[in-house]
Amino acid sequence: MTELIQLTGITKTLKGQTAPRTILDGVDLTLHSGESLAILGRSGSGKSTLLSLIGLFDRPDSGQYLLGGRDITRLPERKAAALRSAEFGFVFQRFFLLKHMTAAQNVAMALVNGQGWLPRRKRRARVMAALEQVGIAHLAKHRPPRLSGGEQQRVAIARALVREPRILLADEPTGALDTETGNLVITALQSATERGCGLILVTHDRDHADRMGRVLQLSSGLLAPAGERVPA
Amino acid sequence: MIGLSGRFRSALIIGGQGIRARKLRTFLSMVSLFLGVLAVVVVQAGAEIAERAVLANTELTEGRDGTVKMYVPPKPQTVPVTLETLRGRTDAVASTTTMAIIGEPGVTPINPGAAPFDQPGGYTSGMTCDQYGNCTDEPPEGQEAAPSGQAIELQLTAMTGDIRQFRPFRPGSGKWLDFASAPSLSPRLVLNLEAAKGFGRYRVPAEMRITGADANPTPRIIGVIDDGNPQPAAYVRSDELLNWLPATKLADEQAGIGLTVMMAPDATAVEQTLRARLVASGIPPKDLHAEPINFRKEAATELALMRWIFLGMAGLVLLIGVAGILNVGLATVGERIEEFALRRAVGTPRSLLAGIVLAETLLTGLITAAAAIGTGVAALKLVTIFMGDGEPSLSNLEFPWQAGVAGVVAGLIAGLLGGFVPALRAARIPIATVMRA
Repeated sequence: MTELIQLTGITKTLKGQTAPRTILDGVDLTLHSGESLAILGRSGSGKSTLLSLIGLFDRPDSGQYLLGGRDITRLPERKAAALRSAEFGFVFQRFFLLKHMTAAQNVAMALVNGQGWLPRRKRRARVMAALEQVGIAHLAKHRPPRLSGGEQQRVAIARALVREPRILLADEPTGALDTETGNLVITALQSATERGCGLILVTHDRDHADRMGRVLQLSSGLLAPAGERVPA
Repeated sequence: MIGLSGRFRSALIIGGQGIRARKLRTFLSMVSLFLGVLAVVVVQAGAEIAERAVLANTELTEGRDGTVKMYVPPKPQTVPVTLETLRGRTDAVASTTTMAIIGEPGVTPINPGAAPFDQPGGYTSGMTCDQYGNCTDEPPEGQEAAPSGQAIELQLTAMTGDIRQFRPFRPGSGKWLDFASAPSLSPRLVLNLEAAKGFGRYRVPAEMRITGADANPTPRIIGVIDDGNPQPAAYVRSDELLNWLPATKLADEQAGIGLTVMMAPDATAVEQTLRARLVASGIPPKDLHAEPINFRKEAATELALMRWIFLGMAGLVLLIGVAGILNVGLATVGERIEEFALRRAVGTPRSLLAGIVLAETLLTGLITAAAAIGTGVAALKLVTIFMGDGEPSLSNLEFPWQAGVAGVVAGLIAGLLGGFVPALRAARIPIATVMRA
């Protein structure tokens, strides 16, 4: 398996109300293509901060970040945006769908982002393929208010997959869903790994975490392996 | 280049989606901007129309821009030389103006001195002036004033050719002078509107008296034109007038009235020939003045100040519109923080986020400009329909393209100014907003 991500000694300190607070204190992490990884941890343990560093939303204070062997620790914002578009897909706890746009238009948002240009026909084909992949192609013309929570999250997953990213980052994607719908969403995310996509899932849900190939625990700014697991 | 094109298209698409999603807000922004853009359009259109009207009137009385105008001093030899040189030419026309009275002989005309009929007064042909320039219409001692009678005094302009190529008279009724046919013993006259008004109002005999004429001819009125002259005037072929008047009398040396020669800009050969022949006849070269008419530039300079003052006022109204766009833009960006953060998360560069906001405000400005221009065109059409009959300068008005351009530029500038700060804010929205939500 190809090594997609390699984090070494990553630290991050955030401004606290009284004093700076170290959130990540030397995190090491490796993710391979086709691998799924769950990160567990208490609220405020730094899971989302770690995910935002991996997703190039922010920069670490120290340490090294290799993406496909390339050092991107100190990437300028313009190049980071291009990499986010090309390499990463994001799924958030809240679905962040635009109410005035249809499901298809919401998915197409990731294609109309100023990073290259696809003609309308190709764009539509890619969008429909992504919606098909998560099983809601028939809802392409529906607007978010007419969709259930699970359907909305699957639209968000389709938006994350439409550019065929190498890495999928999911920040508590089932947090707003019931157990059954959450399972469907996890299944949709896992299916992406079958095509070689690496998946990092941040979650509180132990059951969902157990469905990942590996489960790590973030505690006191350190990422501790919780043992290899066999996917369910 | 491709990247830029992609970003440009993306900004337009997303901006268009934003406008469609917030139709009421866009409409309210347009309302606040509309008056400002309309003010710019109206000022620019008004200035252009005023300039055109001033130019059109000046063309009627002075001549088209570019026409070369030469003044030939009133000497006995200048008239025959000028007439001879210009005979049969179409690119140069000589004209001279004298006074004529049409009507009963030996009477004081209804409008002494060719005064407008509704505004009596002015210099009369019967006036006498002393060495200090003080004039009186009392007859010289020993003479009696002529009794009032049915006669009309007018300015009579004799021409060697069709002067309309230089002074584009507006046609009224009847026909214009035919310079190709043989001269008639009964001089054919074309009246201006004021003279036609006089002849319509008063019944006068068809006998024309011209100072210095051997006899009084019977004129034929063949048409009416608008020459922009408020005084009664008539136009006649010089050769028809010369049947009754010696050539030397066409120029009045005592009154200082000479010939005016109007030439096409490219008629330099005529000018050189005429100048050479006049100099050869004894006219000093320094007495021959020729200069092109350049009134457009003069009028533009005179109107520019007025235009800028009004544009300044329109600009202030436009600023209110800009403030409206700014206000709505800031509120909208505040509401769309999550959307912009999400767009950054999926790889949209900051510059494109700013571009999206600017695209929305610029499109709003353009749509407003289109509405303001449409309103301007419609208003001008209505003015033309309802007021054009009473006011000749308001008939056949066309919407000036410069006003359209000014409206579009005003809309774009307003969109740019109003969208600038919201665009900066949109570009600075932290990407981590989506993680904290």
